[in-house]
Amino acid sequence: MEKKLLEIFNTVLTNRSKEAIKGLTPNMHLRNDIGFDSLDLAELTVRIEAEFDIDIFEDGIINTVNEVFDKLER
Amino acid sequence: MKNIIVTGASRGVGFNITETLVKEYYHVIAINRNVSDALKDLQIKFPDSLTIIPYDLADTENIHSKIFKEEITYDKSIHGLINNAAMAYDDIITNINFKRLEGMYKVNVFSPMILTKYAIRHMLLHKVAGSIIHISSISAHTGYKGLSMYASTKGALESFSKNTAREWGEVGIRSNCIVPGFMETEMSSGLNSQQKDRIYKRTSLKKPTFIESVSKTVSFLLSDDAFSITGQNIHVDSGTI
Ligand SMILES: NC(=O)c1ccc[n+]([C@@H]2O[C@H](COP(=O)([O-])OP(=O)(O)OC[C@H]3O[C@@H](n4cnc5c(N)ncnc54)[C@H](OP(=O)(O)O)[C@@H]3O)[C@@H](O)[C@H]2O)c1
Repeated sequence: MEKKLLEIFNTVLTNRSKEAIKGLTPNMHLRNDIGFDSLDLAELTVRIEAEFDIDIFEDGIINTVNEVFDKLER
Repeated sequence: MKNIIVTGASRGVGFNITETLVKEYYHVIAINRNVSDALKDLQIKFPDSLTIIPYDLADTENIHSKIFKEEITYDKSIHGLINNAAMAYDDIITNINFKRLEGMYKVNVFSPMILTKYAIRHMLLHKVAGSIIHISSISAHTGYKGLSMYASTKGALESFSKNTAREWGEVGIRSNCIVPGFMETEMSSGLNSQQKDRIYKRTSLKKPTFIESVSKTVSFLLSDDAFSITGQNIHVDSGTI
């Protein structure tokens, strides 16, 4: 799952001409560390949903990579 | 083929929009409660260009699962959304019935918003710079006795559209409203000829709005020719004063 997630994160980053990242660590902040803005996060949600059938933003904003893991493991 | 969602395609303006678009080589995904004979005939003539999803847009909650997940699926891209389906609950304000008002808001406002949500998501997934079009009404601008509640649903759509344009313009997604004047359809069939004449007198052309003129404007706003048009209300209303 983590490998697929990293792939999705990098698709979104490169789609928006931002630098790809090498790996995901749980405490990474989606905005401050990875550099996603609200439109990137929207694309991230959609791509994760298309892959895992879970809408990570359904019940409100999430901030860290760990919270994404949590949603997908539930 | 580009996929365009058209709501309320079973009759009236929505049917004419659908007919226009399939002839222009779009694939239309039609959403309405009833599958009219006209829509059935059109599907026989253009089997590859028309998918019909019978759905009651009063059921806003299940749009995601029933329309997008089950019918459209993640594999299909969406290039356009035409929010045309609507109902008119008309009465004077002192008679407002909340349940009926709420029902109208579900069909005319909440469902178009949720359809927009998922259409934009599909556009992001497939990297499509799509076009969203809401069918508003001149009543939101001029005011008519008995139409305050209905007109307010169109005012809501117009504001929603303008803000959609601001929010998503950065990724190339456009959003516009078409503001038709009075048209001869089932929705307006309750008016007598005197009332109609009074409405025509308020227009520059002294005529009803032709449905075809609305459909052609839809097709223009969908096309690349309208590349720089977003956040607008385009009046197609015989010049209503
Ligand atoms: N006629 C006018 O003078 C006029 C003027 C200005 C603006 N408009 C606007 O133009 C648009 C088209 O109106 P029209 O005159 O073509 O109206 P119409 O003849 O009454 O057609 C309305 C369409 O909406 C669909 N619809 C209604 N309720 C629905 C629901 N709960 N779920 C799914 N579909 C539903 C109907 O399909 P089903 O019954 O099969 O569900 C039908 O296809 C509307 O947005 C209207 O507000 C009309």
